[in-house]
Amino acid sequence: MDKVIDFEHNMAAHCETGTLTALLRYKGFDITEPLIFGIANGIFFGYLESSNFPFPMFIVRSRPGQVRENISRRLNIKINKYRFSNKEKGEAKLDELIGKGIPTAAQVDFFYMTYMPDWQRVHINVHFINIIGKQDGKYIVSDSYFPKKSELDSETMRKARWAGGHMSPKGFIYHPAEIPENIDLKKPIVKGIKRACRNMIGLPVPFIGVKGIYKFANKVKEWPSLARDTEHLSHEIMKINILLEDQGTGGAGFRFMYATFLQQAAEILNNKDLDDMSKSMMENGDKWREISYFAAKIGKNRDLGKDRLEELSCLIKNRGDYEKKIFSELKKMV
Amino acid sequence: MKEKDLYVDFKPQQAVYYVEKDDSSFGMVVSGSQLSHDYLDDYYEKKRNLEANLREKIVNNEISPVYYYMTLQEMGVGDLASRVGISKRKLKKHFKPEYFQKLSLKVLKKYSIIFDIPVVSMLQLMIIKQEDKDKISVEYLKSDNESFIITKIGLKNNG
Repeated sequence: MDKVIDFEHNMAAHCETGTLTALLRYKGFDITEPLIFGIANGIFFGYLESSNFPFPMFIVRSRPGQVRENISRRLNIKINKYRFSNKEKGEAKLDELIGKGIPTAAQVDFFYMTYMPDWQRVHINVHFINIIGKQDGKYIVSDSYFPKKSELDSETMRKARWAGGHMSPKGFIYHPAEIPENIDLKKPIVKGIKRACRNMIGLPVPFIGVKGIYKFANKVKEWPSLARDTEHLSHEIMKINILLEDQGTGGAGFRFMYATFLQQAAEILNNKDLDDMSKSMMENGDKWREISYFAAKIGKNRDLGKDRLEELSCLIKNRGDYEKKIFSELKKMV
Repeated sequence: MKEKDLYVDFKPQQAVYYVEKDDSSFGMVVSGSQLSHDYLDDYYEKKRNLEANLREKIVNNEISPVYYYMTLQEMGVGDLASRVGISKRKLKKHFKPEYFQKLSLKVLKKYSIIFDIPVVSMLQLMIIKQEDKDKISVEYLKSDNESFIITKIGLKNNG
């Protein structure tokens, strides 16, 4: 089966919002990635310690899949979803959809995206790509993280779609089926902001939202006791920069993208306060980025003594204080 | 973040960032990764040291190839156990050389798929000398026999 869909490839900040935005735009719904992110209350913080990760880590966005579910519910968009335990059936369905000219998003293990630079390839089961064709036994892929369209052979795609493990993709694919005409974004925007505020300041969970930022600030001081050696500690400290900047966040742990959402939301809702808030969020992002720079610098210099980690902890705690304040204000605005 | 303050020229790793543009509007730009631009050498140095350290442990019969690849690929014990379809306790046994020796070909194949390496690499490490790395090419050719691959080693055609 050879079929290549005429699909415009664009990079995006994040794979989940990027694939969904691209599929909706392909179907004629003119929407931006920050609006998708904000309406779906993608902004988040969580500090996680689990045997599924080799080291404690933090997350800066909501649970994978939630963006898609929230957008579907709040904008009344019908999305067809498929999950397969049988690989042959899963492949046949994907081929069938492509054969019909339907670009389809797939959940994959990022490790098998062989077109990416080797230093970026890690096992993460919640990467999303759009599959836009199949030619000579290879799938044509539009990946938000890569500058151009790429290819994956069938065997690699199979490994990636049925990787197993934590948050296993299980061959999951989806595509938007029906989009209502003249969608009014006002109510969904308000809903998205309210939910984001609840997640950041309203949940009684000690490792989620602002509480998670405080936990991260405290726990990072204990990281030396968890690392194998100084180089391992340096690697984990420098990964703070990766998680905030390079792992598909749009910079500053999604705070820049959320600022952009608030600016676009202010215009749609004609709300000056939200516009001011977008500037505060951008400044907040700048401070998160300072943490990224700081972590990279002390990691590179192996300058990882108690004082330095105390300094890092203090910078993170300040973000907790600031986000507690701005999300409280944001909650009152909508 | 202002657009001009963010931009980094690093073609091998590009990403989208949201920034403040000249007209004060916020929007996306594509830029190189600042971290990779500045510190990729450091990343590779640490990776090389880790690999050498783990290799020494394998050779000294302290760890198994399962532990070697899991650590190199930064996987969590819970995640790897779930991918293989065994308990964490059992996986930890596979970290020990004496238990690793008893593993079946079927289990080794599972590991090789997860680590994306030929199954033979679960039993041997092929190293090309640093100075020859640019000259030598290694190609794994699959055959219709699932348990058999041909490894083709040759000089790279630089012409």
